[in-house]
This record gives sequence, structure tokens and C-alpha cells, in this order.
Amino acid sequence: MIRRTHLRESIMVAALLGISVPAAAAPPEPAYSAAGLYNLANSYAIAGKPGMAVLYYERARLLAPNDPDIEANLRYVQASSRLAPESSSWIERVGAVGSPNELSWAGVIGWSIMGISMVAGRRYSGYRWTRRIAFILGSALIGLTVSSGLLLWPRLHQAVIVKDAAPVLVSPVPMADTLFVLPEASTVETTAEHEGFVLVQTASGQTGWVSRANLVRVVPQK
Amino acid sequence: MCLAAVPGHSAAPITDATLKPAQIALGESTELTISTLGTGMESIALPLVPGLEFRIIEQSRRMEFVHGASLATTTTVVRITPYLAGTFIIPGLAPKSQPLVLRVSPAGEAVNPKGSVLLGKGAAGAGGSANDIKMTEDGSAYLRLTLPKREVYVGESVPIAIELGARAGSVASLNGLPALTGSDFTLNNLPRQPDRTEKIIDGSPFVLLTWHTVLTAVKPGTFPLAVETPLTVKVSTRPKGEAQLEDQLGDPFLQRLFGATVRKDIKVASPTYDLTVQSLPVDGRPVNFGGAVGAFDIVSDLSPAASVAGDPLTLRMRVRGSGNFDRVDSTMLEHLDEWKTYPPKSSFAPSDALGYKGEKTFEQPIIASKAGPQTLPGLTFSYFDPATRRYETARSAPLEVMISPSPGEGAGMATGALASAGASPQSHLRVGLRPDHDVAGSGETSLVPLYFQAQFLALPAMLSLAFAGGWLVQRRGTSRPHHDDSVGARRMPKAAKRVLAQLKAAERSGNAGLFLNSARAALVQHRKDRELTAASEVSAEDIDAWYGSDAEDIRRLFALADEANYSDRQLAGVDFARWMRIVGRQLSRGPSR
Repeated sequence: MIRRTHLRESIMVAALLGISVPAAAAPPEPAYSAAGLYNLANSYAIAGKPGMAVLYYERARLLAPNDPDIEANLRYVQASSRLAPESSSWIERVGAVGSPNELSWAGVIGWSIMGISMVAGRRYSGYRWTRRIAFILGSALIGLTVSSGLLLWPRLHQAVIVKDAAPVLVSPVPMADTLFVLPEASTVETTAEHEGFVLVQTASGQTGWVSRANLVRVVPQK
Repeated sequence: MCLAAVPGHSAAPITDATLKPAQIALGESTELTISTLGTGMESIALPLVPGLEFRIIEQSRRMEFVHGASLATTTTVVRITPYLAGTFIIPGLAPKSQPLVLRVSPAGEAVNPKGSVLLGKGAAGAGGSANDIKMTEDGSAYLRLTLPKREVYVGESVPIAIELGARAGSVASLNGLPALTGSDFTLNNLPRQPDRTEKIIDGSPFVLLTWHTVLTAVKPGTFPLAVETPLTVKVSTRPKGEAQLEDQLGDPFLQRLFGATVRKDIKVASPTYDLTVQSLPVDGRPVNFGGAVGAFDIVSDLSPAASVAGDPLTLRMRVRGSGNFDRVDSTMLEHLDEWKTYPPKSSFAPSDALGYKGEKTFEQPIIASKAGPQTLPGLTFSYFDPATRRYETARSAPLEVMISPSPGEGAGMATGALASAGASPQSHLRVGLRPDHDVAGSGETSLVPLYFQAQFLALPAMLSLAFAGGWLVQRRGTSRPHHDDSVGARRMPKAAKRVLAQLKAAERSGNAGLFLNSARAALVQHRKDRELTAASEVSAEDIDAWYGSDAEDIRRLFALADEANYSDRQLAGVDFARWMRIVGRQLSRGPSR
């Protein structure tokens, strides 16, 4: 039996069952865990909300990029919504050997190793090979972190369409003409924002303005 | 007045009899078309109807072959001219046929082709009638203006009809559309294809072209109103008596056959009417009055009926009625708390060809910024009603709308959305999804990776500073191991440069003795400066104590210097460079303690 300890998950289940939850029980600060986000995405998928499901799968994938369940369910929901799943290259797979936070600490460790080896080399002439190996190891860790950051940077600016048939407009005003329509659960890249509208670019390169109410960013803006 | 008719005697079998038009004005004529079997017209006995004059104007014969037998039919056209107004009953001419009814309206009422009265002297308006017709001098055409009233308001749109009557066969061409003779009024664009009918006027067939349009008064006052249009007419060159004979022929073909005409360009004008234009009253003018004059009412609606905060809704206001729709305008809702409003756009759907009646729709995008039940106030639209001669304000009912919270940006805000999604918990996706995970731990406070967070980046930055500091310390330690501030130490670099320059000069001259003795003297002097000693002799023990690992080389240097004083020993180029390097290192580093 799946153990649900997360308070938010309890609230979600209570909401699904129609049970009112006291406002005081709501957590004051959002706390993200890959498992919690994944479970939430599953709930949205079961509830027939593919847009929100894809959103939370993407969020879960940020914290656990190597989780096969997240990847599988994300692809399944996208396929069910008749959307083409994203194909990940080998570079992305290499860059996702660990979670971004793990790679952040790995980068710090690599930086420390490299720095120590350089300073020690200045101070001591011995242990030349040891210093060289340490330098290479530190550089590799830093390279891994930088690669992860470069690969993750576009995903930080992605958003998911959470409304069915969201119109993409030529300009950021409600009465503007519609360029095309994005289906729910589509993932787009956001490039600008103006007056409640977000300038998006699809995977095929099409751009246009979408009402902010029709999409949610993968990484919430503070 | 209803007049009964005495049936006429008909010897020939009449197969059909039609009366067209069946309603005319006094002074006009209508035609009775009678179809009979046989070829003789002498057998037709015209009916006797008091007040109507029957006159045969055309007869044609036709032969048909039916099942091998010939069948002759004769068509006779009879012109009927009433002498008085009323309803006349013409008895059925054909066997078992219904009697024909002819309605004659009093003089002064114009009758349209469909039989309804357009306007007459007795009516409230000021249109022309058959008697108002002002023919051109040659009687070939006339132009008539039909107005519903003679008092209008500035900006008011008035539907009018412009009727051009052209005697059949007399008008060669229409050279332009009717136009106003003055500039006190404006006309909407006239349709290029006017309504076309035919009519008998004073026994002559006329072709009537009617333009329906809208007249608008632009300034107050009393102004003459008339229209005119250019025509090319055919003027008969025969004497008047012969011309009357041509007219009696009735048929344009026969007129062309027997008539000799020339073409002439003329302008036919309508009678002039005086139209009074009144200013709109200033008293009681609403603030939001935009110049609309007419009779209107409004309705409003909102779509969708329920929405999400931040999602645009469309507020519609439909203005229906009749009047100057080009002046119908509205800003709808301009400022509304907890709503973001945008300028509306409008579209007009006329319900008549003139654009005088119809529906103008205003659509305003609005966005709710707050969730919960919201009430949009009723909309208002002000106009001037010429019928009541005062300003009116149409109002719509307030609109209720339920605004739901928008989908959350954070994980915690997803609960409400899920609750609403729970209405349809059954999903086919349940089957293909992998199961939930165990949730443990407190989780992360942000989805942004640590290496993109400024607080975290401070850590490698501090490490970088620390390493850079350590590296600099190391570098300074190797280049300036002693940090004393003695005068000799500060002067040492210059003295070293000077000595090295001397050694370089000795090398270039190839003087090994000078080179080695200068090097030894420089090292000894350097030693004296450092140790503040006056000793001129340097022992081997001193060298070992002073120069450490370089002591062996220094002893060798001193020995070579002594040897150079007594021999002619020369040094190779590499030896110069080596000793130069050793001396330079000692002078720059100082002795090791």
C-alpha cells in the first residue's frame, strides 16, 4: 500500500472525495518532492486533466530526471492527448545522470578539488600525478554540472497549456486575431510576457501570444 | 364606394382574363388582358362598368398546332381608365371565372407596384403623388422624391425613395444616379440597381426606377430639398398630332418603327420640398449621449457564463432598432473594480437594405482579477427619440458571473483545481499509468536547481575567493619569501639589475675574469648589505651557511674568479648564461638562512 505522508497529498485526496479541509491545515509554503509531484500528476491524469498532469510530471522531472516512472507516465499522457512526446538526446541523458541539486553539489566538490590541487601545486612540488588526477576529476565534475545547467536552462522557461484549445494570438490583446490553437498539455517555451499574455514558441517554431490563464509555467515565478 | 358592373356579352369563347395592376390611383390606367379562341376581335363585347372606360389598345394573334389540329388564339389588351375613385367589380369574362376587382385610390395618393400607398397629400408626409409628378417639357420622364415627414432633427436618418419615371421608348439612357441639388443634406450611397417596375400614367406606359436610401440632415434650419438626375431622351421630330398617334400605338416597337427621333441630354429634377431641420435639445442631454437619433433598445449578455480568474470573457451589448446606426457608439464598461476592461469593438447587421434598421453589437473583452461570484452592472445607451422629442436611455439588466480561481502556479494551489476536476474522476488513463510513489522527506523549497540559485552560487564564489587568495599567497611567498622592510632588501632589485647589466657587458666583451670577479664582488656586497657586516673576506663556511643548496655553485664561482685573476681562462657562452642565472637568482632571492 502506498504510504501517503505528505500533507498536500492528503488535502488533494480529501478534495477528490469531497471532504472539506480547514484552511488552517494548508501548508503555508510550497514544498516540492519528486514523488509528491509525480503522484499529483497521476491524480490529474486520472481526473482527466492532461494539461495539469503534464505540468506536474515536468516539475517532477526537474527534481528526478532519471525516474523512469515519471518519464513513462509523461509520455503516456502526451500520447493519450495525441501529442508527440519529446525525444531526449544522449547528451541530455548524460547531463541527467543525477538530479540538478545533486549535480550542484558535485560541481561545488569538483570546484573544491580543482582549487585545492592548483594551490597545492603552487606550494608543493611533489605528488604531481596525484594533483593532476585531482584536477581532471574536479574539472569533470564541474563540466557535468555546467552541462546539466545548459540542458536544463530551456526547461526552466517552459510552460504547459492547461486549457483545451488555447488560442494563440498575433498580439497581446484579447481581441487580436488567432494564429493557431494549441491543444491542452502542449509544452511551449516562454520568451516574453506583456499585460497578462505570454509570448510562446512551440517545438515547431511557431510563435504567438497566449493568455496567461491558459498556461502554467513549469517553474513557478515568484 | 363600390360599383357593380354589367356583364358584357361575349360571343367568342374567352379562355383567360387578367387585370394588372389591380390597384391604381385616380388618374392612372390599368390593363385588362383577354385571351380568346379564334381570330376575330369583333366578337368580344367589352364589359360595361360605370366609372371605367374600356379601350382596346393592342391585339395579337397566334396559331398553335395541337395533336395535328390548328388552334388560333387572340390576345387583346384593354386599357381601363377610371373616372372616379372606388372599388370596381368587373364581371367574370371567362366562363365560371371569378369577377375581377379594381381598386382606385383617390387622387393624391401614389400607389406602388405592390398596391400599397406610398405617400400622398393626405398623408402626414410630404411625398409626391401622381398629381405631383413634374414631367419634363417633352413629357418623357419625371423624378419624384418621397419623404415620410417634413420636420427632422440634426443627425436623424430619414428613409426616402427617389422615383424616376421614364416614358417607355422615350428615354435612351440614364447618365447618372440621382443626386441632391443642395448641400444641406447628405444621402447614403444609392444602390446601383434600383427597383424596376412598369406603370401606366395618363394612358402611357412608364418604366419606374426607384432608389431607396437614407437622408441625413447636417445642420439646423429650413432648407429646400430636391433631387435631379441626368438622362438622354429621344425627342420626336414629327408634328404633335403625329406624336399623339405614336403614343396611341402604345407599343414602343411601333413607336420606334413609325417615329423619327433625335437624342437629347437633359436633367430631370424633382419638385422642391421645404424640410425643416431642428437642433437636438440641450436640456436633458445625457452624459453618454453620442449622437444616436432614432428608436433603440439594448440587451446584454456575457460569455462564457462562468470563467476562471485571469481568463478573458466577452461582454456583449446589442443595440436594436432604427435610426442613424453610424452614430450608435458605446464605451460599455470603462472602469470596474476587480475587472480589467478593454475597448469594445462593434459590428452592424442591418435588417433592411438601407441600413436604417438592424442590430449593432458591441463586444468588450473583460478579465476578472478576483475569484468568486461577480456582478457586472447593467449597461446603458442614450439616444434621442424624434417621436417623443426627448432623450431616452435604454438599460440592460445586471449580469451575474461565477469566477473560479485560476490554476495554481505552485503545488499547493493545485488542490482547488483538482477538486473541480474531481467531477470526472473516471478516466481511461488510469489503466496505463504507472503507480504512485512513496512520499518521504520534506522536499525542496524550490524547483529551480541549486546552481541557478543566487544563495547557492555564493558558495563556489567564496571557494573561488579562498583559492585565489591561497594561490596569491603562495605566489608571493615564492617570489618574496622575506617580508622585511630593510633598505638593503628594497634596493636589491635595482642593485641586482645593475650588477646583471655589468655582467652582461662583460659577457659581450668575452672578458671572463671581469665577469667572474664582478659576480663575486656583487655577491659579497649583497651579503654585506643583507648581514650588515664589514667583513671583506668570505670563508667557505660562510658560503655554506649563506647559500644553502647553491653553496656548491657559489664556491665554484669564487674559485673560478680567483683562477681568472692568474690565468687566461675563458668561458663558453653556456657558462656565461649559467653563471648569470645563478647570480641573478641569488641577488633577487637573497641568501637562504
